[in-house]
Amino acid sequence: MTTAPVPVETASAPISRPRNLTRWLSTTDHKDIGMMYLALGALFFLIGGVEVLIMRLQLARPGNTLLEATTYNEFFTLHGTTMIFLAVMPMLLGFSNYLLPLQIGAKDMAFPRLNAFGFWLTAFGGIVLYLSLLEGPPDAGWFAYAPLSERPFSSSLGTDFWAAALLMMGMGTTLTALNIIITTVRYRAVGMGLWKMPLFSWMVFVNSFIIAFALPSLSAALIMLEVDRALGGRFFQGGGSPVLWQHYFWLFGHPEVYIMVLPAWGIISEVIPVFSRKPIFGYEFVAGSTVAIAVLSFAVYAHHMFAVGFARPVNLAFAASTMLIAIPTGIKVTNWVATLWKGSIRMTVPMMYAIAFIVQFTFGGITGVSFAVLPIDWQLTDSYYVVAHFHYVLMGGTLFALLSGLHFYFPKMTGRMLSEGFGKPAFWMITLGFNGVFLVQHALGMMGMPRRVYTYPDLPGWGALNMFSTVSAFVLGLGLVLTLINIVISWRMGRIAGDNPWQAWTLEWATTSPPPRGNFVRLPPIKSSRPLWDLAHPEDPDHQRPTRHDQQGKGHIRPEEKGHEQ
Amino acid sequence: MSSKPSSIPMIPSVSQSLDVSALPLPPEHMDASPRSNGFWGMAGFLVTDTVIFLLLLVANIYLRRYSHGPAQGALDPGTTIWFSLGLWASSGALVLADYFKKQAKVSGILYIVTAALGFVFLYGQAQEYIKLNAQGATVDADLFFTGFYTLTGLHGLHVAFGALALLVTGMLRFRGLLDGRREGFTAALGLYWHFVDAVWVVLFLLLYVWGGP
Repeated sequence: MTTAPVPVETASAPISRPRNLTRWLSTTDHKDIGMMYLALGALFFLIGGVEVLIMRLQLARPGNTLLEATTYNEFFTLHGTTMIFLAVMPMLLGFSNYLLPLQIGAKDMAFPRLNAFGFWLTAFGGIVLYLSLLEGPPDAGWFAYAPLSERPFSSSLGTDFWAAALLMMGMGTTLTALNIIITTVRYRAVGMGLWKMPLFSWMVFVNSFIIAFALPSLSAALIMLEVDRALGGRFFQGGGSPVLWQHYFWLFGHPEVYIMVLPAWGIISEVIPVFSRKPIFGYEFVAGSTVAIAVLSFAVYAHHMFAVGFARPVNLAFAASTMLIAIPTGIKVTNWVATLWKGSIRMTVPMMYAIAFIVQFTFGGITGVSFAVLPIDWQLTDSYYVVAHFHYVLMGGTLFALLSGLHFYFPKMTGRMLSEGFGKPAFWMITLGFNGVFLVQHALGMMGMPRRVYTYPDLPGWGALNMFSTVSAFVLGLGLVLTLINIVISWRMGRIAGDNPWQAWTLEWATTSPPPRGNFVRLPPIKSSRPLWDLAHPEDPDHQRPTRHDQQGKGHIRPEEKGHEQ
Repeated sequence: MSSKPSSIPMIPSVSQSLDVSALPLPPEHMDASPRSNGFWGMAGFLVTDTVIFLLLLVANIYLRRYSHGPAQGALDPGTTIWFSLGLWASSGALVLADYFKKQAKVSGILYIVTAALGFVFLYGQAQEYIKLNAQGATVDADLFFTGFYTLTGLHGLHVAFGALALLVTGMLRFRGLLDGRREGFTAALGLYWHFVDAVWVVLFLLLYVWGGP
């Protein structure tokens, strides 16, 4: 975008650091806010991680006495709430905020001040949640089933702090999502039709619609819970319906799962083509299946409630929709694999995380579909099998995509490369650690170990598998610490990245690293979803090639992209 | 940290940094609508607000069947309708305020009239709450009233925010301090206020008039 021309020195300096704290407090620049979201997410990820390591220590041996039962309840409630609302969502919103305007060729978001407001609401929400430690933290679990979350069963103010925190974070997230929608609709650079947007922008755009419809459902449920708790209302107790809470919570809660995975898919859809040296396979299908998922994500919510005892047709309808949503998800996985197929693959750290993502996410997806089979769900619900399943999707999926995105976009954000010498060992520790923690939990769940228990009897195999899980958790933790060290060191001493270290073809790589205020001095003409490719190859631009396959059985790959030795 | 060269070799035909500075200046961006960002942002916000009101209404309609208290009979639609008519009339005042926006004084006064009608509505709601509480129709009285207070309370909060914003807008407009640059703000506020009035139509019909399932 052309604004007041940016002085060359500022534009090309590798790191433009804030001079003081007030700049961070007052900034409305989407890149600063994106970085602050990422930092907030990382901070709370650390807190949530320490919480879970303590929980794993408690579970390492049968009959352990490190934590009491109530303390353990508080730990898993805080761990779940922190990881979902304060770690994963802020990090995803951070990438969305940072990258969306860059990818669509805009100067900033449509509402820069609203953007800052949304961030600070989220940050204050996090503070409010942890202020509950002064009063007695919430202990009703992250889904706070009524009537356990009602005054007679949770008499401390912890649950009220929890509800207030979630209302603030929910409002902040909703405002940011509206901002993203308006920005995408109005601020795309001239020439960038919706079907030429980079896939990350596509996913973030669709994701914002899910947020705009799902988060209000949580707000409504929380308002009702607070009317009950603070004013003695009767929505979920005293003649009201506890199942109503479950309906409203999961009407938010299941779309929330997709809110946490759509931007992750977007990151993967950017990383895989770049390191396969091919355009994404089936762009329209990857983008279009996202819309199908957005709609279906609301239609499957009651599969969290099969144990409630609905009428058979209701159960069957939600089982069917749950199986249905696996189709657009499968389309995506197929397209990523097809992009890898016959590609010229480069095993960089972001690519390694992306490939681990595909394997682990698909595994988590398959265990997820297994819950659509009612008898399996009734057998395994509330067991460690469920814990293993959703960690495979949310951690093996989303967190790995976030790490992939971190390694991929760190050069753009800071102007310096992350070290591969740290990155590769950290990758193996995280991947082996992660699978060590959760793979065995499938077995534990099938052996009957219930989730959310602070200890367990010494049944054959339980102690050994849990000990294995705990040791793996510490390997995983060390891998993450190594990644943090890598970030700190590389930020100061990493190799200078240049504008486009990965030879990627989307607009964010056309500007300097880090981008100047206002993002772009000049934009290339946009005729396809890879404007930089078109600019570098005027003799062979994307928009003059067949969009599906070329007919020679060689896939999309251009001969000149193959030239590398590996 | 890594001092060794990247594992990605340079591709000969692609320069590390593409020379975009030689390109002509492009126009700004795609502009999809003549309306302001403020208008569309508020429209999106009101969609999310609609979801909240809708879910609270569904909860009330679902639960009121099992209500075992004074329930709807305690309400006095005959009095509430007058305050409601005032609120709905305020939408008309707001339309006029926007119509006369070139005449700062007229428009400013009309904004303040709109805000005043909002405050009158709030006064009526406070009176109604006091009366109902005196009759024993409190939040915890029965399932109907839990939902009634939640819905009307949330709507009242919307009216209070809107009326305050309209009051400030009216005073600024009257003193000629609101120019065309603030079009987005007034458009958003206008849309918000009409939405708040429309929500009250639905709430009045479903809570005061309709007998329930």
